[in-house]
Amino acid sequence: MAFELPPAVYSAQLLESVIYDLEQYLEWHRQSSVKQKVGAKPAAEPSHSAETAQVIKIYLQGQVATVAALEALLGELKAVSLPEVHITLAALPNHAQREALVAWFRANITPHILITFVADRNLGGGVVVRTPNHVFDFTWKQQLLAGRSHIAEIVKRV
Amino acid sequence: MEVTIIVLVLSVMVVGLAALVVLQSRQLRQERHKQAAASPPPQRVAQTVIPEPTVAELQAKLTAVYEREINKSGETFAADLRGTSAKLSEQVTRLTTKVIEEELEAYQKTLEEVRQVATGAMNQIREAVEHQRIELRQGMEQELATERQHLADKFDAKMGDVIASYISESLGSGVDLGAQMQFILTSLESHKSEIRKDLLDGV
Repeated sequence: MAFELPPAVYSAQLLESVIYDLEQYLEWHRQSSVKQKVGAKPAAEPSHSAETAQVIKIYLQGQVATVAALEALLGELKAVSLPEVHITLAALPNHAQREALVAWFRANITPHILITFVADRNLGGGVVVRTPNHVFDFTWKQQLLAGRSHIAEIVKRV
Repeated sequence: MEVTIIVLVLSVMVVGLAALVVLQSRQLRQERHKQAAASPPPQRVAQTVIPEPTVAELQAKLTAVYEREINKSGETFAADLRGTSAKLSEQVTRLTTKVIEEELEAYQKTLEEVRQVATGAMNQIREAVEHQRIELRQGMEQELATERQHLADKFDAKMGDVIASYISESLGSGVDLGAQMQFILTSLESHKSEIRKDLLDGV
């Protein structure tokens, strides 16, 4: 992909939402053009999310927004296939925590990555990273279970 | 078997001798009757008249001599018979003793051989049982040690599970992601290359 998605658009659902907004806008624009030609009153302009606005802004890079540019953006977004990773935490992260995690993945793995956050309170702490082919378990529970042989040694020492 | 044959032969001999005595006695009587019958009747012409007392006396003497001879023969035979019987008895005793001794010796020899074989077999059985016992004991000790170790490992693992679950569940109600962020980022950082490889290889 030629441009980087903003940190706010970090998941596949958010990307779908951006695509939906763009489709809605372009559809409204087409219908409005037709209505203008026939002298009908066009419908109200559909609203779009802040994430969509950020994506358009980054894509255009200061250029004037045109229908052609938006259609090109839509086509690129629909065609792209980005790697996706699922992150499971003991609780859903807040905005800052989510931004930190997204930033880390986009800085250290690839700028074009989508992340899905899942909460599981049974983890206790830590994180589980699930990629298409592997599960990286960095939870406290896993570490406790992995080190359970040390518990017996510790108990014997006490 | 040999003794039985000897006894049988001697018995036959004794019976034969007895029969011989009876036969001789009969022959003597017959001779006396023949002589009495063959003696010519007294002739009147040259007849010698022997007085009755003399005849009786001669008769008595003859009878006495005859009986003495008979008794003498009987005594001789009895003496021979006693001697033969004694010898026979001695021989039988000797043979019997010898046979018994030989049989006893053979029996003792056989008994000794059987005893040696039995002792050897018993020693082999004892050694086999001892060997089996040692093997069984070693096997049981090893199995016991393995089982003990298995139980100890199982207990340790279970205890680890219990403690891990307890800690995990205790922490579950009070999650603070903010405090965990450093740990999470450090964990991600330490496995960065693996995650990148897995994600980018799949694209």
